[in-house]
Amino acid sequence: MSPRAIRWTIIAGVLVLWEVLPRAGLVPVLFLPPLTTTLSVAVTEWRSYGAALAVTLSQVMVALLFAVGGGILVGAIVGGVARMRQVLLPVFSSLYAVPLVVLYPVFTAWFGIGSEAKIAFASVYGFFPTMLSTAAGIQTIDPNLMLTARSMGATPVQRLFRVILPAAIPTVLAGLRLGGALVIIGVVVAEMLISSAGIGYLITSSRTVLNSPHVFAGVLLVLLIAIGFDLAMRLLEKRCAAWSGAGRARPGASDVRPAEA
Amino acid sequence: MSQTLAPDAAAAAADAAPIVSVTGLGHVYPSREGPVHALADISLEVGQGKFVVIVGPSGCGKSSLLMMLAGLRHQSEGAILCDGRPMSDPDPDRVGVVFQEANLFPWLTAIENVAFPLALRKVPRAERQARAAAMLELVGLADARGRYPHELSGGMKQRVSIARGLVQNPKVLLMDEPFAALDEQTRMAMGEELLRIWSETGKTVVFVTHSLTEAVYLADEVLVMSARPGRIIDRVAVPLPRPRTYAMMASPVFGALRERIWQQIRASAR
Ligand SMILES: Nc1ncnc2c1ncn2[C@@H]1O[C@H](COP(=O)(O)OP(=O)(O)OP(=O)(O)O)[C@@H](O)[C@H]1O
Ligand SMILES: [Mg+2]
Repeated sequence: MSPRAIRWTIIAGVLVLWEVLPRAGLVPVLFLPPLTTTLSVAVTEWRSYGAALAVTLSQVMVALLFAVGGGILVGAIVGGVARMRQVLLPVFSSLYAVPLVVLYPVFTAWFGIGSEAKIAFASVYGFFPTMLSTAAGIQTIDPNLMLTARSMGATPVQRLFRVILPAAIPTVLAGLRLGGALVIIGVVVAEMLISSAGIGYLITSSRTVLNSPHVFAGVLLVLLIAIGFDLAMRLLEKRCAAWSGAGRARPGASDVRPAEA
Repeated sequence: MSQTLAPDAAAAAADAAPIVSVTGLGHVYPSREGPVHALADISLEVGQGKFVVIVGPSGCGKSSLLMMLAGLRHQSEGAILCDGRPMSDPDPDRVGVVFQEANLFPWLTAIENVAFPLALRKVPRAERQARAAAMLELVGLADARGRYPHELSGGMKQRVSIARGLVQNPKVLLMDEPFAALDEQTRMAMGEELLRIWSETGKTVVFVTHSLTEAVYLADEVLVMSARPGRIIDRVAVPLPRPRTYAMMASPVFGALRERIWQQIRASAR
């Protein structure tokens, strides 16, 4: 069987078990309501779920903009300027290790329990990996490429846009993937902790009244967002697939053709 | 096959106006262990359309000298004139550079790589494409125009790099061990190829190599440098006729020239 077929078989298997196990009474319905029950909740209550999805998605979008835009910008500066790198990179790397979730109550104290707090929290949450990844990408650009561009009379601006940025794209994409995932987690977790709207909020409020089908309908929607993001990333990565992975400093490797999959 | 001097070639060398002239050039690198005196008292002239090869022990400053000729680094003392003007900054209209590594931009196809210097100069797209395609044709890679660097062999990459060095139509092409990363067979073929391109374009070439066979095979004149601080200790004119053939490598003239250069390098490196 091809990996693709195996993958789909596993997914189908999980879906079937999700339906069969609770119906057969092997798993209490309170712990896991059957798939069809969950789906029917999502369909019959599409109004409230749709609204929640819109809230969560819009906040993910805005936070993504801040996290990724800021992350790439700061990362490019920190990675590109030696002095900044020496001073700031260790600080940022340590900050990255701090579990930011503990700070969310502080965010709500500052921004209230509306969307601002969620956006701020998720932005910060996604900012660090994108920033660190971009900084690393820019730092490892083959200096020979810069020298070559210079020998052709490239101005500093041309070097930035025609060499540094294109060369950094694969690492930036990797950072974007990680940062985007964290932004989604950040928004949903924030909604689950303290908030007044969104899918995370729906999940938590349904859980407190032990309404399992509603909880799982929310979980399904979060899954949907994650899958959507993954697909979007794949599309983006595909556009760079022709050359990504090359262009970094790989000592002595410039004449070795990378083993292409 | 016996080789004789080609007197008219030697005469032509004498009256060609120098396109590159270096006088009293010296260079000192600052470093943590104190200043490194890399080059000292280098004076040389390269005639228009000549093929000049620089050889010398490792670390004697060949690459440094080329960087300065390319305007990529500023010498501590002395003057460099190219086409009558100082080389204070890189100027692709006067000097093109080919490095040891092909240094192709991995996100661009072969033809886009060749067109890159033209894009920097905002040459219109159609003209860019046409000129880049012509250069790829010249290096025998017309079929590979759409391929990315990782889809090319080492020799093909270096050809693209040469095409890119030539596309701006510079007066001088500087080459720093361009074939050093290639295997022996590819290297020989590339040398032959380069001579063909050189004779078709009439460019002036300054070429650095570690291979004495390559040096004698390619050069009108071989400049021999001493160990650090690098000076020019010998200028060896190569009177072999053109076009050069592999068979000439077996000739006594070829062997004698190689031997002479080798002795110089050995003596200076001691
Ligand atoms: N940026 C630099 N800073 C300090 N020293 C340098 C620098 N670049 C080169 N050098 C020194 O200058 C000397 C000449 O270096 P260069 O690279 O020009 O030699 P080369 O003749 O090209 O050597 P090779 O044949 O091994 O390529 C060397 O001793 C090297 O250590
Ligand atoms: Mg060198």
